[in-house]
Amino acid sequence: MSRKELFRYSEENKEEFLKSDNITFNDGTVVTPEEIWHYLTVEAPVKYPNAYEINELRGSRRTRDEKYVTGLKSQYLSLTLSERMEKAKDKGKTVAFIQGGQAVDPYTAADTIALRPALVNNWNSGRKYGETVYERNVRTKGIKERAYHDMSFEACQTGGFEHIQAGDLRVDVIAPYSALRCSDVSYGLEAHRHGPNDKVKLFLGDYPMRFQADKEWAIEYFAHNIRKLIETLDEISGKKTTEEDLKNSIKLHNEGRKLAIEASEIWWSAEVPPTTGGERGALFGLGTLEGHGDVQATLSVLKEAKNIIAERVKKGVKGHKISDNPKRLFVLGSCVGINASRSEDAGAIVVGTDNHWSHVVKLVDEEGDPYYNLAKATLEYPYEQSIEKRAAWTVEQIKKSRADGVIFLHNWGCNTQAAISRAIVDVIKRETGLPTFISERELGGLSNEQEQNRVNAFVEML
Amino acid sequence: MAIKTLDIIRRRVEERPEELKKERANGKKVLGWIGYHIPEEVAYSLGFIPIRISVGGDSKLVEVGARYASSKTCVFLREIVGAFAENTDPYIQETDVLAFDATCLQNFRAAEVIEYFFKRDVVVLGVPRNVYWEEAIEYFTQEAKEFTRLLEERAGVSVDKKKLAEAVDLFNKIRAALKEIYQYQASKGNVISWLEVYDLIQAGYVLDKQEYLQLLQQTLAELKEQQSYIDIEQEAGEARIFISGSVIPRGDRKLINIITSLGGRIVGDDIWTGIIPYLDLNIKEISPEGIALGYLNRTPHGALPYLELKTDKRLKKLHGLLDEYKAQGVIYHTLRYCDPYTFKAKETKDVLAQSGIPLLEIHTEYAGSDYEAIRTRVEAFVEMIRNQTIESEEEVSA
Repeated sequence: MSRKELFRYSEENKEEFLKSDNITFNDGTVVTPEEIWHYLTVEAPVKYPNAYEINELRGSRRTRDEKYVTGLKSQYLSLTLSERMEKAKDKGKTVAFIQGGQAVDPYTAADTIALRPALVNNWNSGRKYGETVYERNVRTKGIKERAYHDMSFEACQTGGFEHIQAGDLRVDVIAPYSALRCSDVSYGLEAHRHGPNDKVKLFLGDYPMRFQADKEWAIEYFAHNIRKLIETLDEISGKKTTEEDLKNSIKLHNEGRKLAIEASEIWWSAEVPPTTGGERGALFGLGTLEGHGDVQATLSVLKEAKNIIAERVKKGVKGHKISDNPKRLFVLGSCVGINASRSEDAGAIVVGTDNHWSHVVKLVDEEGDPYYNLAKATLEYPYEQSIEKRAAWTVEQIKKSRADGVIFLHNWGCNTQAAISRAIVDVIKRETGLPTFISERELGGLSNEQEQNRVNAFVEML
Repeated sequence: MAIKTLDIIRRRVEERPEELKKERANGKKVLGWIGYHIPEEVAYSLGFIPIRISVGGDSKLVEVGARYASSKTCVFLREIVGAFAENTDPYIQETDVLAFDATCLQNFRAAEVIEYFFKRDVVVLGVPRNVYWEEAIEYFTQEAKEFTRLLEERAGVSVDKKKLAEAVDLFNKIRAALKEIYQYQASKGNVISWLEVYDLIQAGYVLDKQEYLQLLQQTLAELKEQQSYIDIEQEAGEARIFISGSVIPRGDRKLINIITSLGGRIVGDDIWTGIIPYLDLNIKEISPEGIALGYLNRTPHGALPYLELKTDKRLKKLHGLLDEYKAQGVIYHTLRYCDPYTFKAKETKDVLAQSGIPLLEIHTEYAGSDYEAIRTRVEAFVEMIRNQTIESEEEVSA
């Protein structure tokens, strides 16, 4: 197959980039901006040409803005994930597959790398070098189809089942939370019991349902689940996680959450959006510190990012190629989003989401029993509350973000989020008077064009 | 010879909506419930008339339900939501309080949607997923107490231990009678079919419990008179089918009719709307939480995950029932978007294959467009099983 023309980072921006901060990793190693620049411009285009393709979907570049340092560093962390995971495993680090919209404080406390489906897929994809976007898609789609066959063809996604069961990835434990945000989590977990990989441990964090944050017995039960989770992780690592470890982890993660909240307030306060919508989403996603398989590295990027955003807002910098009066969209629903760059081409910008934000905004009490505090905070996630309460919190975020329109997007097969989409949107419409629409996303990308047409029509209407 | 009591039961089911209206006019309250862990005895002892809400087979209501929930909600619950929207089902009309449990996530979501759009008074019982932990039992005990408190508030009375004991006794007798009747349908020379027993079970969702018990005992007496023995054995040329998987509520008889019309003999089931909820229910303590724990300790619902295949109670029970009813093949019914059972289809097929039991998955919804496709697949399955029986008979003779 003929090779595609590849994008290259402009040398014009190099000098400024080199003035930025180092990234410090969990194991204490440090990567300098020089090394990152070298990787992004020399090594990565050879290893991962798919990330440098010039096409409608912009390859898999994290940012279109070459001057946005955080975007480049996030891309560096994303491209190096596979190699970093392999190295971590060689050093005996525990890796857990997680799902369920939770903060990862207990996993960090137990010295475990917690990876969500997207990261597991990224880990697997990165193990093969030299692929184009097309080649990678063909390879991964074929593997995915087998997983749907083994699980259910009505699964919203396979959650990396295929890679873990094939033994391709050294995941030690599947340990999700059965939170409301997703119906398939516990069934997907259970599906692992009949796969060929019987080495992988299974654990379910049982999230009590029906808005139970005010019930002491529910908090106690969930706190016990967190204890058992840590015990399970300790069994794998052979270490003993103490209460102090969990307290320290909560402090560390609170720092990430606070930074993301502060950065968000700054971003929302800007007259013009200081970054693109995709960059905004990636930035606030850093607040959970788990997005790149290394909490310290993520924290160091986030600390710097907050200052970069503040500086951009102060100088009135506008996000790359954002139109002069973009229609501001708030996207809520499942763990999926609209195509940010194509929506920006249509004159819009995503200014907020509820998913991947709900568990960032909930700080955990640092005094007292850390298991209890973490359980209580988790049960209080706004996203997991009743229709009226969740919608009330969402309305608050929509107002802060000064959105012009609201999209409830659910993934195909995501019946827990889809089931309440109309009710939530109903309250939002009532309370804000904003135009809304409900749309369905298909993770396989088969309906990308239809979905974008609908988004564009909505933006046009706004 | 037909069982005459079955005609009486059918008539009484038809008359029941009018009766309920009168009872409500006289101050009685109706508790409609949907779930797997709702301790009916508690509601009954508090003076509620418990009615299990069960509609199915109506694709128009499914469409209506999708407008309020979503097209990704399972077909059964979509129809339930649609039925609340239309509000023409007599049992839905006559319901004062609704009780749901959080066994299936979609059940719980349906409760939220019904509460929000149709302003119904809804009480939800939380159900743990790590049910084999002591802490989960403690959590569920507290949930059962809270659930009871909410029902007491609505009933205007507190639980009376004597009345609760009487309710447990009554429901135990109903369960015992159903189990006994169920044996007759699977026997040689049966005078009652599985479908008749299935309808009989579902009649109990709505009938007055005292009267229901009396009708079951009358049915048993007739059975004993007309069929003096229970001998559950395979016979030559039979295709003994076991139904597993998603719910098949009243109103949905598509798959069942296809199987029976093709000569398949259904001899057992482990579905939520069949016999399984009545099996292995041992109430060790007469208290709301004691009853609830009895419910929790039965064969687990498919929505409750269990992480070790070898010791899975649900699969163990399935094997036991297949053996007990001498079933030769399983038709595994999965409703569109019913995750608890679609996720388990392949696994169940693989597990049963190890015991030489074939499984056919039928994935369907309430529309009739797949009728012929299902018929063709079931026909081939029934024929395959029947031929196996004939071949094994010939081998024995040779």
